[in-house]
Amino acid sequence: MEKITAANVDTYQSELNALIVKIRTEADEKQKKKDLTRIDLLQRKISAFRTGSKVSRSTKRDLVAYSFIAPNFIGFAIFTLIPIVFAFLLAFMTWDGSNPIEWAGLSNFKKLASDTHFIAALKNTIIYCVGTVPLTMIMSLALAIVLNQKVIGRGIFRTLSFFPYVASLVAITSVWKMLFHPSKGPINNILLNVFGVAQDNLPQWFSGGLVMVSMILFSVWKYMGYYMVIYLAGLQGISGELYEAASLDGANTWQKFLYVTWPQLASTTFFVIVMLTINCFKVYDVAIMLAGGGKGELTLNSTVLVYYIYEKAFVEWKLGYSSAIAMVLFALVLIVTIIQFRGQKKYAE
Amino acid sequence: MKKKLVSMLMVAAMMATMVAGCGDSADGGDDSAAADNTTGDAAPAATETAPADDAAGAEAVTLKWAIWDQETTTYWQALADAYMVANPGVTIEMVDLGSADYMTVLATELSGEGSDFDVVTIKDVPGYATLVQKNAILPLDDYIAADGVDLTQYAGTTDQVTVDGKLYELPFRNDFWVLFYNKDIFDAAGVDYPTNDMTWEEYDALAREVTDTTFGSQVYGAHYHTWRSTIGLMGVLDGQHTILDGDYSFMKEYYDMVLAEEADGVCRSYSDLTTEGLHYSAAFTSGDTAMMNMGSWFISTMINNLASGEYDSSLCGNWGIVKYPHAEGVEAGSTLGTITGLAVTAASDTPDEAWDFVKWVSGTEGAQVMADTGNFPAIMTDEVMSTITGLEGFPTDDNSKAALEVSNLYLEVPYAENVSEINSILDTYHAMIMNGECTVDEGIESMNTEIGAILGQ
Amino acid sequence: MKSAHKKAIFSKVIIYVILIIIALAMIVPFLWMLSASIKSDREVFQMNPFVWIPENPKWSNYSEIWTKIPFGKFIQNTVFLTIVVTCLQLLTSSFAAYAFGKLKFKYKNALFMAYLSTIAMPWQVYMVPQFIMMRKMGLNDKLLAIICLQAFSAFGVFMMKQFYEGIPDELCEAARIDGMSEYRIYANIMLPLSKPALSTLTIFTFVTTWNDYLGPLIYLKSQEKKTIQLGLKMFIGQYSSDYGLIMAGSVISLIPVLIVFLILQRYFVEGVASTGLKG
Repeated sequence: MEKITAANVDTYQSELNALIVKIRTEADEKQKKKDLTRIDLLQRKISAFRTGSKVSRSTKRDLVAYSFIAPNFIGFAIFTLIPIVFAFLLAFMTWDGSNPIEWAGLSNFKKLASDTHFIAALKNTIIYCVGTVPLTMIMSLALAIVLNQKVIGRGIFRTLSFFPYVASLVAITSVWKMLFHPSKGPINNILLNVFGVAQDNLPQWFSGGLVMVSMILFSVWKYMGYYMVIYLAGLQGISGELYEAASLDGANTWQKFLYVTWPQLASTTFFVIVMLTINCFKVYDVAIMLAGGGKGELTLNSTVLVYYIYEKAFVEWKLGYSSAIAMVLFALVLIVTIIQFRGQKKYAE
Repeated sequence: MKKKLVSMLMVAAMMATMVAGCGDSADGGDDSAAADNTTGDAAPAATETAPADDAAGAEAVTLKWAIWDQETTTYWQALADAYMVANPGVTIEMVDLGSADYMTVLATELSGEGSDFDVVTIKDVPGYATLVQKNAILPLDDYIAADGVDLTQYAGTTDQVTVDGKLYELPFRNDFWVLFYNKDIFDAAGVDYPTNDMTWEEYDALAREVTDTTFGSQVYGAHYHTWRSTIGLMGVLDGQHTILDGDYSFMKEYYDMVLAEEADGVCRSYSDLTTEGLHYSAAFTSGDTAMMNMGSWFISTMINNLASGEYDSSLCGNWGIVKYPHAEGVEAGSTLGTITGLAVTAASDTPDEAWDFVKWVSGTEGAQVMADTGNFPAIMTDEVMSTITGLEGFPTDDNSKAALEVSNLYLEVPYAENVSEINSILDTYHAMIMNGECTVDEGIESMNTEIGAILGQ
Repeated sequence: MKSAHKKAIFSKVIIYVILIIIALAMIVPFLWMLSASIKSDREVFQMNPFVWIPENPKWSNYSEIWTKIPFGKFIQNTVFLTIVVTCLQLLTSSFAAYAFGKLKFKYKNALFMAYLSTIAMPWQVYMVPQFIMMRKMGLNDKLLAIICLQAFSAFGVFMMKQFYEGIPDELCEAARIDGMSEYRIYANIMLPLSKPALSTLTIFTFVTTWNDYLGPLIYLKSQEKKTIQLGLKMFIGQYSSDYGLIMAGSVISLIPVLIVFLILQRYFVEGVASTGLKG
């Protein structure tokens, strides 16, 4: 490590001053970043010399950052993180919420492998996610772009798009079930009368193999307004100058989207995809409302992970086993998030 | 972790010796009860003995009681008021946990230590099993023995919820299944009314006879609500089979019967019903349903809503009930039942007072309050019976009155260790069979393998 | 030139047609709610033929919900909870997110992963340990319990962090070079810029807290502490239900949500772009 002396502090200071002047006019993004790092380093070295300690500067920096995080983190750690860590440990134990906890090792996870209901729930949840995540993302982005333009009644249209998300679930499932009712719904009536599908072959939208399709379409409808709001907020972050520059280069609408909008929305898209994935993996009430039987029971064709977690936890009170299922869900979300994270970084570079 | 386990076991062991040590001073002085205590339920027993000594002082006691639907259910307040009049020193504080997720909220509340509930209502047997296994409620046997409560008046239901020789709840409400029918529809079709002694074949034939599939003026001979109980449990009425058997082939003929009815338009299709979310009351009161199997709770609903004009009396005002149909060679009046019970929590500081309340509500005084509000108490005396049949709006024909006489009562869900898990598996395959997602044989086969594996553990 | 003009008009028309179709699809559930709210329970689920306006509209549903349950009290509780939770959430999340988005510090990634991973955990899994812990703290049956649960969610931090990352670093760097403290950078530069994100977070937190059912169900037991969603469930009894009343209550409870959305949605256009980033 080079020794900081009074002599080279002066050279640092002059280099720093030069950089500060330079950076204001710097056009190249990469060079700018380099300069910024350099400025940071120089400032640190100078202040380290002046205050006589190198550690104090970085510690101070950390402390400032922690002071920002603390108000949220303290509440979060006490009320959420600690119980979650406890739930993590529960996956390796047997507990019914009252009697003494017993160590179970990996037996909960071993049981999962041969559990028909768990495997069905896992399969359905993955199918649901694979269908819902991209569709919702595309639809909400398209809607956000349209509603970000100068359209008459824009505020009204935005509010309307948000309706299915806030309207009561009973109301929207009722409307959906009315449309897709196996014998009385207009969709099946069109299939019957216009396309000549035989009465017995009319699709059963809420049972059997089609129930997942129904759930996916329903979810896109219900949630696209929600993610549209996030995209709308993200779109405001894009500078109009970028579009002007693109227009000057003769870019058409599609090219503008491809080279300006899409890259600029990278961090919003990351957020949207991660949240969508998490929320899709946590799907529960939509399944019960659309496909639940007399007491809300789901069949092997419609069961999903959180439904099964709920069953195990609050009907059978096998909290250890339900934690183990949650671990699988958690691992899946983690994998998707890490892939996304890597992808976003690569894209940014 | 192991350390923690050992220490927990030690605490349990210490409690057990404590109980054994002070067994003589225990309430009721029953030494053998204390000795019988395994380490599992030692903890509740220990808390039970402590306050017994100072309960002599007649200070004001407040009992916290977990209930549901306080606004819409008539009897909670009536029971609490009547008890408080009879016992001036006691205040009953009701806490409404809602009916939809009642057992979930209650079991969460009683998790760990430190709940302040004294008396809890037990809504269903799976929930009861949960609380028993969590050691959250007290065994009542010592109290029952000490106060000489006669269990035979509960028509055998208490035997079906006894756990390893111990009873943890006393029923105060008992609903059983009957067959509701619409007399106008039978009159219009010129078909005889159903009777109090019908086999399932006779019932099926009758349903088909009264059915009209003409478009625009359909009449459904039968209606089955989407619960598993309406079909899957027809087979347990012979007393030979229960849902804990591990072999469910006895359900096949009933699934076959209903699916055939569905195919022939005799009843509404299951998938239509779940899609519409049609409530059974709406199905029966719309005037196109001839017969419907349902619990006796629907009797007071019918009476009240016809009186208030909520139900159109020109469509369903002329109704009656008969006994549940039964299998060949089984006594008429064998039916399904559901009990609602009361239990004393292990966390209660005043278990003796809590028990007194439980005993009162489940006893004859409570039964009369229940009957006065139009509900079926667990104790069916002649007096109670005449109160109910004498209600304004109760069908006036003799068959309807006789339909309330029950010969054998089988709980929809009797107690078993894994009853919750068995229940969910049966529910899943019931829905699959009824949706046509698998055949009856496949569904029953899956029930057999999966539940067999649980029972074989 | 003329054909280009025609083309523009044509595409405008197409856009409006699509928008109107989407708007119709979006508003149908709300119309259904309105229609169901003036029906009796028996009429609500009758689909064949579906009647939008019942023969005898049951307007009394709108007056009955106030008398059958203490709906006013429930609204009061819900408003209190929602406002407190939303304010706390906005303040603490945007504060923490600034550190995650714009500062460098030790254990940053580890801390952030701690946040992110908790979002993936379904609440059902840690509800019981959490409940036992909260009861030990004396929070059972207290409104404060819901505030503690909702106000420090990881979602807010994650969302705000992603948004801050979208704001170019140069703005902060320039301020830092000018000798501004981090707190002033947050207050004077970042906060004004993050109006779209803040209004988004406000809407989401507002809706989540307003419509929360499971949290209040587990924690709020006495009648005078219950919320709207618990109140609406009271109309679904063990053996009976009244969906007409539920829908009347839902329509009323939807109004504040829509007002908040309508007010805040205009801030979506007053973000970075309009304040002039490069200036």
